[in-house]
Amino acid sequence: MAIDVFTDEWCAAWEEKLKESKDFPVYNKGWEGDVGCIIQPDPEKGLNDEKYLYLDLYDGTVNGIRMVDKEKAESAKFVMIGPYVRWKQVAKTELDAIKAMMQGKLKLKGNLPYMVKYLKGTQEVIRCLTLVDSKFPDD
Amino acid sequence: MGYEADWTFNYFGPTKVIFGVGMISDLPLEVGSLGKKALLVTDPGIIATGMADQVEAMLGGSLAGVYSDIPQDTGIDIVDQGAEYARSVDADVVVSLGGGSAIDTAKGICILLTEGGNLKDYQGMQLLTRPQTPHVVIPTTAGTGSEVTIFSVVLDKEQGQKIFLFENYNIPRVAILDPKMTEKLPPGLTASTGMDAMTHAVEAYVSQQRNPISDGMALHAIRLINTYLPQAVEDGSDMVARGQMQIAALIAGWAFSNAMVGMVHAMAHSLGAVCRTPHGLANGILLPHGMRYNLEEIPDRMADIADALGVETRNMSPVTAGEAGITEVEALVKRIGMPTTLKDAGVKESKLEQCSELAVTDGAIVYNPRFVMDPEEVLEVYRKAYFGGD
Repeated sequence: MAIDVFTDEWCAAWEEKLKESKDFPVYNKGWEGDVGCIIQPDPEKGLNDEKYLYLDLYDGTVNGIRMVDKEKAESAKFVMIGPYVRWKQVAKTELDAIKAMMQGKLKLKGNLPYMVKYLKGTQEVIRCLTLVDSKFPDD
Repeated sequence: MGYEADWTFNYFGPTKVIFGVGMISDLPLEVGSLGKKALLVTDPGIIATGMADQVEAMLGGSLAGVYSDIPQDTGIDIVDQGAEYARSVDADVVVSLGGGSAIDTAKGICILLTEGGNLKDYQGMQLLTRPQTPHVVIPTTAGTGSEVTIFSVVLDKEQGQKIFLFENYNIPRVAILDPKMTEKLPPGLTASTGMDAMTHAVEAYVSQQRNPISDGMALHAIRLINTYLPQAVEDGSDMVARGQMQIAALIAGWAFSNAMVGMVHAMAHSLGAVCRTPHGLANGILLPHGMRYNLEEIPDRMADIADALGVETRNMSPVTAGEAGITEVEALVKRIGMPTTLKDAGVKESKLEQCSELAVTDGAIVYNPRFVMDPEEVLEVYRKAYFGGD
C-alpha cells in the first residue's frame, strides 16, 4: 500500500531502502554533512504547509531520514529549497537534482563542487526513494 | 541535429548588448537609465592603460567612486571590502571594466549591495529571489563571456578553494562591447582568452544540457573564433577581428551559461587552483585532448564542430570528421603561438595526480557528454596533454 509522502512512516521506508543499498556506502564514502530539504507549499496540489526533510548521512552510513522543523532543516550543511512540484519531479527521477539547481528550479545553499564529488551517492539516494511506494498529495 | 520529442529546456539571457567601435560613449546613458551613482570596479592593470580614466571622465558627476584593489584571482574579502566601499559612497549601479576577475568582483558587490551580509552567505545556486543591483560590464578581454553569464567564481582564502555562485537574478543588465577597449590586450593574452571562448563554445555544443539556442550560438562562435582569433593575435589594432572576437566570446558565454561546460573546464579549473596555470592557456592546451576523450560518445556533434571549423566533412564518417576537427583545433593553437603541451606551459608532472582528484569534484564535469568520475581517467587525459600527442 502506498505511503503518504512527508510522513515519518515514509521517511522510515526510504531510510530502510537506503540502508539496504550495497552501492550507497561505496558512493557516499568520505561524505561529511547533513542535508536539509525545504518543500514549499502548493495548496492547489494539496500541500498546504511547508515541509522540512532532513537526511543525516555520514561517510557511507545512513544515520537517519526524518521530518524535522524549519530550524533544523535550515541548519544543515547543505540546504535544498524548491516548490513541491519540482521535488515531486526529482523524487520520480523525471528531473535531475543537480540540473534542477543549475536551471533555478531548486535552490542550493552550500558547496556545489563538494556535492558533485558525491554525485553517484546523491543519485543512489533518489533511486532508493523510487523503491518506496509513495503517495503524493495530488496523486 | 534533432532533439527527442519529450525533451525540455530552459534558456535565459536577459543582458542588453551594445556593440561597436566608439560605443563606450553610450555608457552615461545606460548608467543614467539604471540609477544615479555608479561605482567603477576595475583593476590596477586597466588603470595603467588609461582606460579607467576614460570611463571615469565619461561618468562625470554620476561616478560615485572607483574600486580597483583587485588581484588576478578575486577573493571573498575583496568583494566584501568592495561592497563596504560601495555602500559608503551610496552607489546604486555598478560598472565593471576589465576581465573575469573585475567582472566577478562586481557581480559579488551587486549581491551585497542589494542583500547585505557577506559574500560567503550566498555560496550556492539560485538562492536569490529578486533582481540585484544593476551592473554594466565593459569587457577588456574577449574570452570569459562573464558579461552575460549567471556565474561568478571567487576565491575563499580561508578554505583554500574557489566558491561558485550561480544566480539568474545577478546577470549583468548591460554589456558594452567596444572593440577599442580590447585593443591594448597583448598577443599572448588575446590568444589564451580567445581559446577560453573557443572552449566555452565547443563544450557547450557537446554538453549534456545543450539546447537548440545554445547550439546555434556555440557553432557560430566556433566559426568566428577560428577565423578572427589568429587575425586579432597578429594585429591587435585590427578592429574587425577584435570586434568579431568580442561577439564570439559573448555568444559563447550565452551558450555555456545555459548549456554549461565539461571536463576540459573542470581540468583547467584544477590546474589553476593547484599550479596557477592561467585559465585560457590551460583550456587551449586541454581542449583537443578533451574532445578526443569524448569523440566516441558524440561523433555527430564532433563532426558538426569540424564543419564549423571549416573542415570539408562531406565524405567522412562522423568519427573521422570529428578527428579532423580536433586536428584543426590543434593547428589553431599552434597558429596563435600558444604552448601546445602542459609541460611547455610550466606545469609540473608531479602535480597532475592532485589535479585529477580535484577535477572530478568540479561542477563542470557533471555535464561532460561522456560520464567521467574516475580520477585515473582524468589523469590519463592530463598526461596526454602534458607530453603531447594523442
